[in-house]
Amino acid sequence: MSTAAVPTDYTNRVLYSEEAASFSPEVLAEMDAHIAKYPPDRKRSALIPLLLLVVQRERGYIDNAGVNFLAQKLELEVTDVWETATFYSMFNMRPVGRHHIQICKTLSCRVMGEPQITEHICNRLGIHVGETTPDERFTVSLVECLGSCGTAPMMQIGFDYHEDLTPEKVDKLLDSLE
Amino acid sequence: MATEEQIKVTINGQEFSVDKGARLIDVCRENAFNIPSFCYYEDLALQASCRMCLVRIEKMPKLQTSCTITCTDGMIVTTQSEEIEKAQRAMLEFLLANHPLDCPVCDRGGECELQEMVMDWGDVEERFIEPKNAQPEKFLSPIVANDPQRCILCKRCTRVCDEWMGEDAIEAGNRGVNTVIGTYGGWLGCSECGNCIEVCPTGTLLDGTYRHETRPWELEQTVSTDPYSSDGMQFSLGARGGKIHRIVARDRYVDGLNGEFLDVKSRFGHGFINHEDRLKTPLIRYTKGGKLIPTTWDEAIYFVANKFKENGNNIGVIATARLTNESIFTLKRFATEVANSDNYAVSDAYDLAPVFDNLSVSLCTHKEIRRAKTILLIGGEPEEEQTFTGKQIRQAVRNDGAKFIVIHDTAIRMTEQATQFIHINKNSFDAFALGFADRTDETILKKIGAAQSEFDDLLRTIGETEGDFVIMLGRDLSPEAQAVIANAAANFASEKRRVLLHLLPLYNNSVGANDMTAGRKSLREVLQNSKSLLIGGSLYEDDAKLLANKDFVVVQELFETATTEYADVVLPAASFAEVDGTYTNNTGFVQRVRQAIEPLNQARADWAITSMIAREMGVDFGYNFAATAVFKALADTIPAYAGLRYPHLKDESKPAKVKHAIAEKRDLSNVINGLRRRVESMPDEGGKNIVKPKTGHKLFRLTTMTEKTPQFHLLAHGNPKPDNLLVSPLVQFNLDGTPRTDTLAQAAAATGIGDKIEDKENVLHKIIPK
Amino acid sequence: MEIKAIGCEPLQLKRVHLENSHTLKVYQENGGYASLRKALGMTRDEIINEVKASALRGRGGAGFPTGMKWSFVPKDSPKQKYVVCNADESEPGTFKDRYLMERDPHALIEGMLIAAFALGSETGYIYTRGEYKYLIDIMDKALDEARSAGFLGKNILGSDFSHEIYTHTGAGAYICGEETALLSSLEGYRGHPRMKPPFPAIEGLYASPTVVNNVETLTAVPQIIEMGGETWRNLGTEKSGGTKLWSVSGHVKKPGVYELPMGYDDMEKFILEDCGGMLRDDKKLKAVIPGGSSVYIMNAEQIIGKKVLLDYEGLVVGGSMVGSGGFIVMDETVDIMESTKNLTEFYKHESCGWCTPCREGTDWLLKIFNRVASGGGQPEDAQLLLDICDNIEGKSFCPLGDAAAWPIQSAVKRFPEDFKKYLLRQDVAPVEAEAQKF
Ligand SMILES: Cc1cc2nc3c(=O)[nH]c(=O)nc-3n(C[C@H](O)[C@H](O)[C@H](O)COP(=O)(O)O)c2cc1C
Ligand code: SF4
Ligand code: FES
Repeated sequence: MSTAAVPTDYTNRVLYSEEAASFSPEVLAEMDAHIAKYPPDRKRSALIPLLLLVVQRERGYIDNAGVNFLAQKLELEVTDVWETATFYSMFNMRPVGRHHIQICKTLSCRVMGEPQITEHICNRLGIHVGETTPDERFTVSLVECLGSCGTAPMMQIGFDYHEDLTPEKVDKLLDSLE
Repeated sequence: MATEEQIKVTINGQEFSVDKGARLIDVCRENAFNIPSFCYYEDLALQASCRMCLVRIEKMPKLQTSCTITCTDGMIVTTQSEEIEKAQRAMLEFLLANHPLDCPVCDRGGECELQEMVMDWGDVEERFIEPKNAQPEKFLSPIVANDPQRCILCKRCTRVCDEWMGEDAIEAGNRGVNTVIGTYGGWLGCSECGNCIEVCPTGTLLDGTYRHETRPWELEQTVSTDPYSSDGMQFSLGARGGKIHRIVARDRYVDGLNGEFLDVKSRFGHGFINHEDRLKTPLIRYTKGGKLIPTTWDEAIYFVANKFKENGNNIGVIATARLTNESIFTLKRFATEVANSDNYAVSDAYDLAPVFDNLSVSLCTHKEIRRAKTILLIGGEPEEEQTFTGKQIRQAVRNDGAKFIVIHDTAIRMTEQATQFIHINKNSFDAFALGFADRTDETILKKIGAAQSEFDDLLRTIGETEGDFVIMLGRDLSPEAQAVIANAAANFASEKRRVLLHLLPLYNNSVGANDMTAGRKSLREVLQNSKSLLIGGSLYEDDAKLLANKDFVVVQELFETATTEYADVVLPAASFAEVDGTYTNNTGFVQRVRQAIEPLNQARADWAITSMIAREMGVDFGYNFAATAVFKALADTIPAYAGLRYPHLKDESKPAKVKHAIAEKRDLSNVINGLRRRVESMPDEGGKNIVKPKTGHKLFRLTTMTEKTPQFHLLAHGNPKPDNLLVSPLVQFNLDGTPRTDTLAQAAAATGIGDKIEDKENVLHKIIPK
Repeated sequence: MEIKAIGCEPLQLKRVHLENSHTLKVYQENGGYASLRKALGMTRDEIINEVKASALRGRGGAGFPTGMKWSFVPKDSPKQKYVVCNADESEPGTFKDRYLMERDPHALIEGMLIAAFALGSETGYIYTRGEYKYLIDIMDKALDEARSAGFLGKNILGSDFSHEIYTHTGAGAYICGEETALLSSLEGYRGHPRMKPPFPAIEGLYASPTVVNNVETLTAVPQIIEMGGETWRNLGTEKSGGTKLWSVSGHVKKPGVYELPMGYDDMEKFILEDCGGMLRDDKKLKAVIPGGSSVYIMNAEQIIGKKVLLDYEGLVVGGSMVGSGGFIVMDETVDIMESTKNLTEFYKHESCGWCTPCREGTDWLLKIFNRVASGGGQPEDAQLLLDICDNIEGKSFCPLGDAAAWPIQSAVKRFPEDFKKYLLRQDVAPVEAEAQKF
C-alpha cells in the first residue's frame, strides 16, 4: 500500500495556546514548598493549593498560560487541571476585578439582611451581580455560606472577611479600596 | 472458575450458588433477573452514579446499588418490588428532566440505551414542566461530535479514555447539574479512537463522519473483521443501499474479542469502501508507457492468460498481507499449480517465518494478555499499530497490577504505563536479543547502552512471576533476533509460570499470509527472478519501482496506486466489505470477513479474479465461485487449519484458533554467532531516541485506504482547532489543515451552520449576493 | 458575637479569650501539650480505649463514635497511615471550627498528634476550606512554632514517635466536607465522594489507612487524655459524652459559639434566654434549624414548652438532629417557602453532580421553587416536591442528597401555611398558572 506525503509535525495536545506562564524564582520556590508537602509520586495533591494560592494570585485568574504551566509542573494533562479547576467555585476561569466582592447569600445572611447589602453594593457600583465595573476595580458575586453566620450579613473581599455589615460600613470599606 | 469457593445467595426467593466475590449485578443478570444500569460497565472502574441498579438487600437500611455489592453468603436480595420500581422510574425521570426529547433527530434514536430503558422501566407521563438547561451541539474534533444536553453523566467515556486508552483526553468539567464532559480548550488532541462514542449510551458523543446520515434501524448490520490491524478487532458494518455508512462494535451486534473497543482507523477509516476513486472496470495498458484503457472482464482475463502463457514459466506471484486467507491461498495455488513455480512471496515489512520456524511456546490470546502477570514488550508500538493489544496491556497493568517491561530504542508513549523501561541504543535490538536469549557481557551491555543491573531487574521480575509471562515481539527486530527470542522463550517457563508469545505484525492478515504461503521466497527474490508478475494488492513504493522493467505485470487492486503505474493490466478487486473470507489475527484466531454490500462497480473478490485467470489458462481450482469452497480447500491443504469450516467461525464469541505447531527445537548457534558478529561490528555509542513519538504518528498516517476519509487529512495535519466549534472542521479547513477562506467557510464560522438556521440565512445572504 | 460556655466549665473554649491565645507560649502556660506528654507514655490501645470510654462522637455531623473509628485502622498494615483534620466547615449555620483554629490552633495540633501517635501515623493534613485562608496562615505559624519547640517533626519530645502536619486548602466546594470527597480533593481531583467500603480507615488518602476527624473532635482529644475518658464522658450523657460547641445565628440577640454540656436540658431556654432572646422583641420565634442546614427544620411548637434535650438522642426525639450543631433561628418575619428555596439553591449549587438523583433532583426542585416563588405555583406542587424529595432520599450516592431533601420535606410538612400561600394563590388566575406550564 503506498503512503501519501506525511506531514511530520504532529501536535500532541491541541490547546488554546501551548505557551506556559513564567514565574519569579521566589514564586517558584513557594510552589515547590507546596509540592514538598505531599509524597513525591502524589504531586497532583498540590494542584488546588497552587491554583488558588499562587496562580490565581499571580495571574489574576486561572488563565491558559497558568494552566499550561501547572500541567507541566505537576506532570498532568491540561485537561486534568481543567477538570479539577472547574469543579471548585473559588477559581475564576475568567478575569475578575481587582477586588472580588463575594457576598454570602445563604440562609443566615439572607435572613439577616443580605438582600439589602447586595442591593446597596450593586447600586453603588452600578453593576449587577456577576459583573465587573468598567474600571475593572470590582466584581460582585453572590456565594454560598462562608462560615460567618454569627456575624451576618457578611462578605469576603479577596481573602478578607468583612462581617456584621451595614450599608454605612460597606461604603467606608469600598471607599478605602483602590 | 470452578475451583472458587461457592456461596449461597437468595434472589427473589430463589436460592443460587455463586462464586465467592461475585458481583451482585452480574449474578442477577446471569440468572435472568433483569437489572437496568447505565454507569456499570464490565472491567471499568465502578462508578455507582446512575443509581439505576438499586435492589433491596435484607438487613441493609437503604436500597443498595447492585453494581457495587459483592455477594456474601446468605445474602437475601429482592430485585423487584414496588419500592424498587418507584426508584427506577424516579431515576429515569431525573435523567429525562434535562434531556432534550429530540430522539427524531438524534443519531442514537433507536439504539439509545436511555430510550430503551425509559420504554422498559420508565413512567409514561412526564411531570417535568420547567424549561430544560440547553447547550449547543458542537464538535470536539473532526471525528467526535458532541451534544452535551443529551449527557446523562454515566462517565463511561471518561473511563474508557483513561483506562482503555491511558489518554485522559476527555474528562468531566464544572460541577453539579452544570457538569459537562469535555476537554480543556474544547478540542480533543487524542488518538481519536472513538471509544467514547461507542460506549456512550445516548447521543451525546457522536460519530462525526456519520452524523445525520441514516437512522440506525435502516442499516443492515454485518459482523466483520478490521482490515487494518493485526489484532483482528471485530465490528459491525452498517450498510444501506449498497453503502457502508458506519462501523461500530456495539455489543448488541458484535460479541468479538475486542468487546466495544476499536481505534481511529478501524472505526472511521472505512471511507475507501464506497469511494468514487474505486476502479470501475478492468484496465489494460496495451503499449508500455501508454494509458490504461477500460475493458471488459472477458477481454481482460483472456488478455492476461494469453500473455502469461506467452511468457512461460517466468511468472512471479505476490500477495499483500491485507488480502483474505482465501485470496492469498489462491494466489499461492496460482504460483504452484498454474505457473508451476515456487516463485511466490508476501509483501510485508515484517516477516513472521523466523518466529514460526522457532516457536517454542504458544501464541497468546488477548484475554491472556489482560490476565498476564508480566508483559515484556520488545520493540514495536502497540498504541499506534496494535491498539487493542495496547489496551489489554494498559488494563492488565492498571486493574490487576501486571508488571510491564518495555525494551525500546525510543521512549514510546506506552512507557508511561511501564514498570520498567530499558532504553536501549538506537537499533540495538540485535544486541538485546543476544543478551536476553543467550547471555550478556560487557560488549553487549555497551552496545545496547544499559547496565547489567537493568538486565538483572528484568530477569528478577520474570523469575518472580507466577502466572502468565507474555513476550511481545515488535517489528523493530531483525529476523535473527526474532528467531533467537522465539526459540529461547520456553526457557523462561517453570511450574508456576507459563510463557506465551505475542506477535505485533503490521497487517490485518500478516499471520494468515504467513500460514498460506509456506515455502515462499523473499519479496526481493521474486521481484528479481520474474519477468512477469501477478500481484494481489500494492507494493511499497520502493518495491514497486522494481517493476519498471518487467515484461508483464498484472495487479489486482481497489485503486490506482504507485504499483498500478507499472501494471499492464489492472483488475478491480472487491474490498473486505464486499466479500466473504477470513483473516488470521496475531493471536492465531481465524476470523470471518463477511459480505456487507454487493461488490462496487465491476469489482470481484481477489481469489475469484485469480481463479478466473487460472481457469483461462487451463487449471480449474474447483471453487465454483464460493468462498466456502476456497476455505475448505485451504483447510484441507494447510495442516494448521485442518478441519476448519465456515460454520466453525460463526460465533465471534467462540473464536477458532489455528494450530500453530510448536517447532522442533533447532540448534541456532549459527544464527547466534552471526548475530554476535553483527553486534560486534556495531558502533558502541549508538545513542538513544529521546523524542517521544507523538500521538497518532502512525495511526493518522495517510495511506491509500485512510486518505479516502477526509477527516484523516485534518488529523494528519496536526488536527487544527477551528474558530467555531459549532461547525464541522471540514467546512473551516482545507484538507491540508490550512484555514479555508471561501465564502461558505466564512459564513459557517460566523454563524454556526446547522445550529442557527435563521442566522445562517442572513449571513449567507450578506456574504453570497443573491 | 458571643463565645462562651453555658452550664459547664469552658473546655473547648478554655483559652479562647486569653490574650495571644494562638501562641505556643500562652498555650503551654495553660496546660498545653501536657496531654501529648502523657499520651506518649501510654500505649496505643490505652489511648484508643480512653477515647472509646469518653463516648466522644464525631463533631463533623455524622456523630460517629471516634474511638471506634480509630480502632478500624489496621494496626499491622505496612502502608503509611494518615490523620486528616476536616476543617472544611461549610455547613450553613456552622462556624465553630473557625474560632477554635483562630484562637486555639495548638489544641488542634496536639489533638492530631495524639491521634497520630495512637494510630502510628507519620503524616497529617489539615484540610481547610479555601475561604478560610487566614486560618491557614495562623495554622502554619502555629505549626512552625510547634516544630521549633520539638512537638512536631522527628522524634517528638525525645520519643521515637515522628509526625509532620501540613495545611492544605480546598477551593470552594461544600461537598469536600464529606470525608471521602475531602480525600479526593486532597489528592488534587474533583471533590467527588468515593464508594464505601472501602472505608477511609482501610483505604483513604493515597489508598492508605486514614482517619478523618473534625476540628472539634480532635481538639477534644487532649481534654480526654488529660482528665480521662470516664470523667470527660460524665460531663455529658451516657451515649453523648463531653461538651459540644453550638454555633448560633439568625434572629437572636446574642449569636455566637456556645459550649454546652451534652444533654443540656432545654432548647427553648437556650435560644430565648442564653442567646439573649429574639433579636426583635416584638417578633415571635417561628423556626429553628438546629444542626446546620442539613437537618429537619423545627417549628415553634416543637420547641416551646417541649424541653428538647441538646444531644444526639434528645434532638431526634425533638424532631431533628444534632448535625454540625449550627442553630439557625428565624422569627415570624421569615417566609419558610423562601428560606427553603434559599437552602435548595445552596444544595443545587453544591451538589457535586456525581449521581443522578441529587444532581438532577436539586436542579428540578429549585426550578419548581423558582416557579412557585414567581407566582406559578399549583396545589399539586407540594406533593410533587415531597415526591421528588422521596426519590432523592436514600437513593443518592452520598448523604448530600438526603441533606437536600430533609429541609424541604420538613418545611412542607411543618409550615404548610407558608406553602399554601403560594400554591393556592388567589391573585394568579388558574389559566395563567396553567400557561406557565408550557
Ligand atoms: C455533605 C457533607 C458535608 C460535610 N461537611 C463537613 C464539614 O464541613 N466538616 C466536617 O467536619 N465534617 C463534615 N461532614 C462529615 C464528614 O463526612 C465526616 O463525617 C467527618 O469529617 C468525620 O469526622 P468526625 O467523626 O470527627 O465528625 C460532612 C458530611 C457530608 C455528608
Ligand atoms: S448525593 Fe450524589 S451528586 Fe450529590 S453530592 Fe453526593 S455524590 Fe454528589
Ligand atoms: S449501574 Fe449501579 S449505579 Fe449505575
